[in-house]
Amino acid sequence: MASKADWPAAPADLTQESNERLFFSDHEWKTIDAATARIYPTDHQPGAREARVVRFIDRYLSGIDYIYASADGSGFLQMSGKLADAWRARNAAMRRTYRQGIRELDRIAAGRHGKPFAELTEAEQDGVLEELSGTPKPKPVTLTDTGPLGTMLQGVADDGMNFFDALCLHTRQGMYADPAYGGNKDRVGWEIVEFPGPESLADTNDCSYSVQEHFVQDCVWEDLIPFMREKG
Amino acid sequence: MNDHAAKPEPVDAVIVGCGASGSTAAKVLSEAGFKVVGLDRGPWLKPEDYSGDELKYVNRNFLWPDPTLKPRTVREDEDSPTELFPFSPLPQLVGGGTVHWAGWLPRPMPSDFIQRTLHGDLPDANLADWPFLYDDLEPYLSKVEWEFGCTGLDGADKYAPPRSRPYPSPPRPPTRFGKVFYDACAKLGINGFPLPHAMVSTAHKGRNPSNWTGFWNQYGDPTTTRSNAATTFIPEALATGNYELRPECYVTRVTTRADGTAKGVVYLDIDGREVEQEARLVLLCQGAIESARLMLLSESAAFPDGLGNASGLVGKNATFHEYLYAIGLFERELHGPLCGFAGHYISGGSMQFYETEEKRGHIGGCIIAASQVGHPINWNFPGRPLWGEAAKDGDRDFYNYSMKIGLILHDMPVESNRVELDPEVTDAWGLPVARITHKPHPNDVKMAKWQVDKNQEILDAAGAAKTIPVYLERSTGNTCHQHGTLRMGFDPDTSVLNEWCRSHEVSNLYVLDGSGFPTALGVNPTLTMMANAWRCSEYIVEHHANGNEVRLDKPRVEVSA
Repeated sequence: MASKADWPAAPADLTQESNERLFFSDHEWKTIDAATARIYPTDHQPGAREARVVRFIDRYLSGIDYIYASADGSGFLQMSGKLADAWRARNAAMRRTYRQGIRELDRIAAGRHGKPFAELTEAEQDGVLEELSGTPKPKPVTLTDTGPLGTMLQGVADDGMNFFDALCLHTRQGMYADPAYGGNKDRVGWEIVEFPGPESLADTNDCSYSVQEHFVQDCVWEDLIPFMREKG
Repeated sequence: MNDHAAKPEPVDAVIVGCGASGSTAAKVLSEAGFKVVGLDRGPWLKPEDYSGDELKYVNRNFLWPDPTLKPRTVREDEDSPTELFPFSPLPQLVGGGTVHWAGWLPRPMPSDFIQRTLHGDLPDANLADWPFLYDDLEPYLSKVEWEFGCTGLDGADKYAPPRSRPYPSPPRPPTRFGKVFYDACAKLGINGFPLPHAMVSTAHKGRNPSNWTGFWNQYGDPTTTRSNAATTFIPEALATGNYELRPECYVTRVTTRADGTAKGVVYLDIDGREVEQEARLVLLCQGAIESARLMLLSESAAFPDGLGNASGLVGKNATFHEYLYAIGLFERELHGPLCGFAGHYISGGSMQFYETEEKRGHIGGCIIAASQVGHPINWNFPGRPLWGEAAKDGDRDFYNYSMKIGLILHDMPVESNRVELDPEVTDAWGLPVARITHKPHPNDVKMAKWQVDKNQEILDAAGAAKTIPVYLERSTGNTCHQHGTLRMGFDPDTSVLNEWCRSHEVSNLYVLDGSGFPTALGVNPTLTMMANAWRCSEYIVEHHANGNEVRLDKPRVEVSA
């Protein structure tokens, strides 16, 4: 059995340009494309649709070939052993979650409007998502104070997540993950939040990528730390 | 497939776990000529295996234990339900926590060693003094700082404890949010300074400090900028020719001889074959959860309640250091971008609130630091709108205009807070997993509230338009700091390990990770763990190996009013 340290990298079968479907049916693709476009809408800047979030999710659900990009971004690690088994089981569970979730979107859509989710107007789709999530559509962030909020966890995995929460998390991931994973096309997600991300994973692996310019230049510690001046 | 691999030759010492403390012990013992085998559950990943891939590291657990293969369970107390939860997901691989850490490397303070003397019998807690003092550890703190690599700024920390040597490497410049932190601190009369950091900024010991990517906390480092046991002490131990590193070996029990000493360890190799490695000395260095679990898994007719557990204290008095913080959101019309993706996680911190001030209504205190908010998928934005225009606007408006000031909660030891074997849940190898029972002490809740509020004041002074507090709700192990499960002390009735971290009962079994800490520190524990592992390893070389037993006198503490 190969150690994680020796997992080979297989070149990705799909290029960043390919729109080949690996898991979703045409209908499922259309439905998830529409739903993610409401989760991260297009406005004067691109949204989930332009970032190709549906493609990102389709590759994630396709099996265990698109889980870990190799460090130089040239392909994906070929897992083996118990970790591969764990990811196969995780993948099977998340596929079920999506298949059931898509049926649920259509069921709610049919009940409210007599049409499948993907054929509804944006406002109607928002209504379906509200019903699915059981809470109103989120209001804009205000700068008035809020109460205390929950704990930060190390790592945000999706084990055991319900469909709606998984869809929201995967939409974020498809917006902002490295384009090697099939979303964040042309790094549009990073542009929206003004994150000067790397051109490629290879640049982070050889550290030719740098954010040094975003540190404070020409800093004099004595200017920042009064105690150093007081001591003389 | 053969169920048993060939039995390897006995060695002087077998070290279980090759992280911060295991690599320190490996270095000291192998450099002294001991034949040493190091066993680690995980792989030996190299710098070239790492990249700035947020999805892989932060969402898909490339370094953290897979929660379905290596689950843990948690409950608040006996009356609360037990749930599956990835509590304290310290990476299980060569280098351990030093592979993924941000690398805060502060020294402990002298007060950390005398909590019982200072505070007496805090109700519902189990305070104890350490069996040695800060001054006893100081030479080893310096050794680790210089050998492992540490940046710091001499003369900048108003509250610095005594030091015998300056810092080996200067700090990198502040980030933009770091500068905002320093300015706010100066306004409020708080001593902000660059916290000691487990990294190098110069070619210290031939290292190449070329990582300016900002992919730092929770990521592996593709260079040798970060002080990582897998790229420092492990290679140094290997260079002696006396150390053999065996990755992907899962130790399932410590075996014993008829005389009650440890005989060696049994492990499963990567192909599931059982191997016994005999050794004159067995050193556990897996972190306080897994070391306690292994002691309990090693029960036998001679040790019916677990190895070295005559006191019944194995697993008890566990402390875990919750990370809490306040976030400030800034208006972009009034402020330049804060660039929370840049830096090496922390940039600027303070020790000003460390010592007890009675008017606060709690004892003790903790370190604070300004830090990166992270990368776009997972950046820290408590209460973030989940979807719709509000979600997109929230990211767009505040990703570059927010900052975080956090704290490492100095939690009190409580005997019933503990690590045990779960009676029902097993891991992918069929062995019982660790069940954590942990309920914060009232002092923890008060300290958290006071310090998070103070961090909000600093954000207000920095000009934040809105601040969001994250107080202590429950213990999640989100720092991956683990201590106290095998408390050290002089008395075998009230401690598991002696002052050299040797088992009171098993005379050739040492536990050199944070398990021995009688009380948690108010700072990150790794420097103290490594210094203590060095100190105890030196004792093994100078005394234990020569058949001498040297006992320390109980420290005489003089507390000035």
